[in-house]
This record gives sequence, structure tokens and C-alpha cells, in this order.
Amino acid sequence: MGLHGWFMALAHSPLGHAMQTSRWGFAVVEMVHLLGLALLGGSVLIVDLRLLGVILKGESAITISRDLNRLLLGSLSVMVLSGIALLSEEAGKCYYSPAFRWKMALLAAAVVFYFTLHRLALVRADSGKPTLWPRIAACISLLLWLGVGVAGRAIGLL
Amino acid sequence: MLYRSGFGTMLRESNNAFSVIESVHVLSITLLFGTIAVLDLRMLGLLLRSVSVSSVARSVLPLTWSGFAVSVVSGFLLFWAEAEKMYANPSFRAKLLLLALAGINALVFHSTIYRRVHEWERQHVSPWRARATAITSLMLWSGVIIAGRAIAYF
Repeated sequence: MGLHGWFMALAHSPLGHAMQTSRWGFAVVEMVHLLGLALLGGSVLIVDLRLLGVILKGESAITISRDLNRLLLGSLSVMVLSGIALLSEEAGKCYYSPAFRWKMALLAAAVVFYFTLHRLALVRADSGKPTLWPRIAACISLLLWLGVGVAGRAIGLL
Repeated sequence: MLYRSGFGTMLRESNNAFSVIESVHVLSITLLFGTIAVLDLRMLGLLLRSVSVSSVARSVLPLTWSGFAVSVVSGFLLFWAEAEKMYANPSFRAKLLLLALAGINALVFHSTIYRRVHEWERQHVSPWRARATAITSLMLWSGVIIAGRAIAYF
């Protein structure tokens, strides 16, 4: 089944029907999505500002990241689940939306980056070696996540 | 009066300007709520337990205040554009009320239990008054965000 088929299957699923017919369904799910966004953004900000050496300088970057990792992945999961529910309500519109495609691409990039090069940057930050890569990694991370947020806003507006 | 002013009208009728300001307002919740939530979760003993509460606060609060400034400025501009509709909107009024309560919660915290933070900041879980403040903060700010989203539905 092609990509379009998957989108249509989601729209026709029980979740899709529930979202499309419920008066408050979309609003409530969107609110959950927003709360997840705030917590995800907060965790990303704190980890990356530590990498930039702006905050919590006396603390280990790895320790901070390990703790915030739970909040980050937890809120990300909430956003993915609520995002799927939102998608089931307007699957067709999203399929053809360039903003949606950009959002998904940036999201994938942000997540992959987080689990790979970003991790290396955290080790680097704690090792006492020069901090150029941690700072670059932090900037890339912040830009990618910001891009996801902006693209998400653009879905509704374009 | 704000609604009919030149600037308010321009903002309301310029799709781009309004959308950009609204986007800034929405994304600023990460800077405002996302950061204060980390301080609240620290006091609840759920993360960064090895870091003292005042260290977390010192790092987080400037960010929270920045987020607050951006939210208020962008929020005021949005209000300026839609003042007539906002004024009577029950969700908007609820949002402002919750916002005021969140402010009072923070004020009480900083003038009482936080004054003696050095006595308890190394504990993994903070004293019950600090925890009560943290839970109240999380609930009130969530309420502000929820009420904000509900504005469009009234």
C-alpha cells in the first residue's frame, strides 16, 4: 500500500472516525499536543543551553541529559500519539501539505540527530576538551526542533 | 477602542502579521512553561536530583522570564487586534484569571519557603510547601495553555 493509502487508512480507522465526528475531540487532542510541545521544548532548551555552556555549567552535561531524556522522550511520545490522532482527522489535507512534509522531515532529522551526533557532543562537553562541537551540535539541535515547531504552525496557516 | 485603532485593524486584517505573532505566542510556551516545569519537577524530586534547587532555579528562571516577556508582548498584540471579541470571551477571561493565580503562586513561593532554600535545596525531594507550589504551578500553567487554545472555540 502506497503512502497515500496509509493516510487514507488512518482517516478511515476507528480513531479517524472518532476524531472527525467528535465536537471537542480535535480541541482536546490539540491541547495535549500543545502541553507536550511545551515540555519537549523545555527539555531540549535546557540540554542544549548546557551544551552551549550558558546554564548549569558546574554540572555534568551527560547527567543533565540523562535526566531530561525521560522528560524529552516522554513528551515526544505524547506528541507523536496526539499527532497521529490529529492526522487521522485531516489526513488528506496533511498528505498534500508541504508544511506537513517539512515537519515530518525535520522531526526525523531532529530525532536521528538527538540519538547520534548529539550524544557525542554530550560526551565531548564533559571530557574537558575544547567545546566547539558541543556548541555546533546544540545550535543544530535547536534549529531542527524550532523548524519542527514552525512547520507545525504552518500546516494550519498555509 | 483598541480594536478600532489603526494598528489593531492593520494587525487583524494582515493575515501574515497576525499569523506570525500568533506563532511566536504559541511557541513561546516552550520557553515559559517548558522551563518552569523543569524547576517544578526538580522540587517534586523527579529529575536533576543531584543538582541543588537554587542551581536549577538560577538556570531556569531567566529563561522563564524571557518566555513570559515574549508571551505577554505577543499576547498583547493579539489582544489588540481582536480586543472586541476577546473581551467577552469566557475562555480568555479564564486564561487571565489562571495567569494571575500562577503569578500569585510564584510570588508566595519566592517570599516564603524559597527564602530558606539553602536549608533544603540539596534534598532529593523538596519540603511539602515547595512541592505544593510545584504541583500548583504545573496545573495553573497547563490551565493557561488549555484556556488559551479554547479561546477559538467560544
